[in-house]
Amino acid sequence: MIVSFLRVIKFAFQNFWRNFWLSLITITILVLTLISINILVVLSFLAQTAVDTVEQKVDVSVYFKSEVSEDAVKDVRSYLLGLSQVKDVKYVGREEALEEFESLHEDNEEIMASLGELGENPLGATLIIKAHSSADYPFILETLDNPQFTKFIEDKNYDDHEEVIGRINDISSRVQNFGIILSAVFVTIAVLIVINTIRVAIYTHREEIGIMKLVGASNWFVRAPFLVEGIFYAFLATFVLGALIYPTIILAEPYVNAFFDGQNVGLVDYFNNNLAFIFGTEFLALAFLNIVSASFALGRYLKV
Amino acid sequence: MYSPTTVGVKSVNLHIKPGEFVSVVGQSGTGKTTLVKLLIAEERPTSGSIVIGGWDISHIRGGDVPILRRQIGVVFQDFKLLPKKTVFENVAFALEVCGTKKSRIKKIVPQVLKIVGLSEKAGRYPRQMSGGEQQRVVIARALVHRPKILVADEPTGNLDSINAREIIELLKRISEFGTTVLLVTHNREIVNSLHKRVITLDGGMISQDNEEGKYIL
Repeated sequence: MIVSFLRVIKFAFQNFWRNFWLSLITITILVLTLISINILVVLSFLAQTAVDTVEQKVDVSVYFKSEVSEDAVKDVRSYLLGLSQVKDVKYVGREEALEEFESLHEDNEEIMASLGELGENPLGATLIIKAHSSADYPFILETLDNPQFTKFIEDKNYDDHEEVIGRINDISSRVQNFGIILSAVFVTIAVLIVINTIRVAIYTHREEIGIMKLVGASNWFVRAPFLVEGIFYAFLATFVLGALIYPTIILAEPYVNAFFDGQNVGLVDYFNNNLAFIFGTEFLALAFLNIVSASFALGRYLKV
Repeated sequence: MYSPTTVGVKSVNLHIKPGEFVSVVGQSGTGKTTLVKLLIAEERPTSGSIVIGGWDISHIRGGDVPILRRQIGVVFQDFKLLPKKTVFENVAFALEVCGTKKSRIKKIVPQVLKIVGLSEKAGRYPRQMSGGEQQRVVIARALVHRPKILVADEPTGNLDSINAREIIELLKRISEFGTTVLLVTHNREIVNSLHKRVITLDGGMISQDNEEGKYIL
């Protein structure tokens, strides 16, 4: 059995080398298919990073009336922290709120003058709420509309990045849809090319196949080299892809980071951490695709 | 391609004993090659049965065909040798594709090359050999599985009379070792010189079947 298996691999290698240019074209198309799929992977990663970055900036500021006591505000804070949707609630006291207000408007003489005329701190305490997900904010805002809280609340400022997130998701889903169509086109071309490659290989080896059948080679032995050839194509294409994609993302990473205001996006780290998953899945999918294509070609063109 | 209504052979009823040397003769298109194809399960009979060594192969499953073919050596007029392989490699190929170990191949191939008288030419390529020698390589390849039956379909068709005689002598020797030989030919001289059983096909049917027969059409 092992002897036959090794011979099948040997014959598969022979098939590959004897139709070298055809093999090269096949691998090129497979690599193009994989590149289009990996562009999708990168875009998906960048879109998620962009959404995460924006989501981190989203929060709700709740301004309490100036007469509300610190204990009442802290009670609200405790209540909010008890909600599973709430990640963090920052308490900004009256004095701190005033300091922030003054530092923000120190150049505006009118505002500063008005503050001076009032003579006392007109600002209440503030709670800055962060949710686990941007989708949780409507629920939190609704909770605060409860009469139990509204009597204390002066105003709520929902720093609405929802629209930005929506737009990022929209653009990324459009790009991904385009990528999926492009990948589907490449997959179709790859299937046709693999079928044709195996067909030519069968034609090139028709004499040998005829003799193999004549002298009693089993059907699987006749077929297996072509299937192994398909797996070999998948392996080489994945290898070439790795050799192309790593230098590309290493070169591209500084530009990507610059796009995200110098923040380290970790594109290379993402590929490093998911190396086995990304390339392993792509290899297995491609090998499966090639085996299916080769099986079709064998069924169609090789009667054993 | 033939139409489905074309009949290759019909009402053929024959029994060949183990170790027998039988010539099948007939004009072109009388069903000789169809008979060979039926024996190696390249074609299936529409009715009737074909039994080889007690094994009814009339409705043989595709997966069993290789097992059958290892028991039947086949020699064709057009040799069917691989031009890029040496004599040794061509013969070894028949064992390689059936999963035989390398050590056993190294043992068997020289033995069969010795039987066909090509021990000295094991390293040559088919193009470097005469037609007769090439046909002997084919016979060697057919013998590596120690077949019970050797079917030779026009083995001398591409050979001159001297080489043809050598091949027939070789087939006779193989028959003497106990292998059943079925020689398909339309070479009158060879058939008449054999003094063995002759089956004559005409229009897909057996017209004559004679022990120590002659080529009569």
